[in-house]
This record gives sequence, C-alpha cells and structure tokens, in this order.
Amino acid sequence: MAKKIKSKDTVELHSFMQDRRTLFCYSGPLTEDLLTTISNPVKHQLSDKETEEVVAKRVFGVFIEQAQNIIRYSYKKTKTTGDSIGTIAISVADEGFLIEAVNVVDPQKKDVLEASLVEISMKDQKELRELYKQRLREGPPEDSAGAGLGFIEMARRVKKFEFDFVESDHEALFVYRGWVS
Amino acid sequence: MIFEAGPRTPLVELTASSCLIRGECYPENISEWSEPVLKTLEECLSQGQGEFKVDIELYYFNSSSAKFLFDFFEFLEESAEGGKAITINWRYRAEDDTMQEAGEDFEEDLSACAYNMVLVDDESK
Repeated sequence: MAKKIKSKDTVELHSFMQDRRTLFCYSGPLTEDLLTTISNPVKHQLSDKETEEVVAKRVFGVFIEQAQNIIRYSYKKTKTTGDSIGTIAISVADEGFLIEAVNVVDPQKKDVLEASLVEISMKDQKELRELYKQRLREGPPEDSAGAGLGFIEMARRVKKFEFDFVESDHEALFVYRGWVS
Repeated sequence: MIFEAGPRTPLVELTASSCLIRGECYPENISEWSEPVLKTLEECLSQGQGEFKVDIELYYFNSSSAKFLFDFFEFLEESAEGGKAITINWRYRAEDDTMQEAGEDFEEDLSACAYNMVLVDDESK
C-alpha cells in the first residue's frame, strides 16, 4: 500500500538535497530530446557558481557522457515508449563537483563492463590519453559491451571516479561517482 | 553553404576554398548531423581549385563527436595526400587544456595537411 506523503516527507526530500548540495537531479526516462532541454539549466547552474569556466565545462562534459550512457545502455526501459530509465545528479562535495549516475544494467554484460572499467581506473592521464586515441583510431573491440570512448573521456575529466554494481529489487544497478575540480 | 549552429551543434560554413566550424558539438544523433556536413565538404573540396583553409574553434564536444572529427580529419588528410593544398587551424583558448590536447592529438594523424595550433583570446567568443 502506498504511503501517504506528508509535509515532513517533502521537507525530508528538500533537506536531503540541500545537505547534499544538489545542483541538479533527474530520475526517470531519459531521452536525447530531454537532454537537450535539461542541458540549459545545468549549464546555467554551473556558470552561476564562482567556478572557472574550464571546470564547469569538465563537469558538463561528464554529465553529458553519463546521460548519454544511460540513454544508450540502460537495461530498464519505459513500457510504452521504450525510453531508457536512469538517474543522474550533480552536487557540490568537499572534493569538488560530484556527478552521480545510476542505471540498471544487462546482467549478461555486467562482467565485461566491470572488467573494462577496472582497466580504465588503473590508468594515469597519459595512458588514458593514449587509450582514447587508440580507441578513436581502431574503433570499439569485437564485443562492444565494455566501457567505450565515453567512459575513457570521463576518466580523463574527473579527478577520480568510483563505480559499483549493486543488487536492488532483483535488478543489477550500475552506480557511478565522478569528482571534478 | 551554411549549417546554422543549433543548441547542441556548431556553426559550419563551407565554401569552395574554406571550412569554418565554431561552437559546441554534442548532437542528439551524430550521423544525422554530420552526414550532410561531410557530403558538402566533399563537394566543396572537389569543386575548389586552389588552397582549402579549415578553421575549427570548438569549446566542447562529446565522445561521439570525437569520432566524427576523426573521420573529418581523415578525409581531409586523404584529400591532401591526393594533392589538394589544405591548411587546418585548430583554435583554442589559453586555459583550455582539453581543447589544446584534442588539437594536439588530431595533429598526430595529419602530415599531408598543414596544421596550426592557434591560441585565441576570450574576446573571440
């Protein structure tokens, strides 16, 4: 039975986002159309702070790549339109801007994705730049379920990133956190 | 031929002797946007007689667009190898490491084309 939402629940939502210093959060069906629409408020929010333009651009870049990753690869879709479902948020953390993303992944592809992300996470800036160029020149590997150009790009822009696979409600969730400063 | 800038696509101006690309590039569908651009570029290169000058000034592009840029440069390089005189100016702002690195990386695969890394002031925005 659905719980009745009261004022205290709504305040809880407000406080949670305030405490997290959330600049932007979206959870639901994500499409390119929607991304076009939400890009503007996101850009606006980022330019509002006393942020260097290059930092704002890096945050925006990671945001776009992660959003497009959800759009293309989320395993959970809406019933009627088949749009990808996921969550993406930008907040302010002590170490800089934090971009978080969650989407359901295909359990069959989880291991390949995990392996390639582990590989990416172990490379330094120089190696990432080389890997990026190599991927650009040669194209994606045979089974393109691994992390692609987008994840390599994100790894280059963030100060650090963390990822996880979490079981939730019989679904395999891919969880991403990237910090930009 | 002018492809007006969109909310997520750059301005592209093509003539028989030049190509200007300026703005941001992260289109909804990269092939849909780039196909007519590449087709027009092909026509311009074959129509033109003398030198062909390319000016690119991008502030941001996503990973899908990187693939397009790679193909774009590859096409220019092939034309230059075929005898066409092509000069490419990669324009970027001083504090923008990302765009500077991108320019340097694309340069690596271009030898038949003349290539210049050009620093621009903020004013040019």
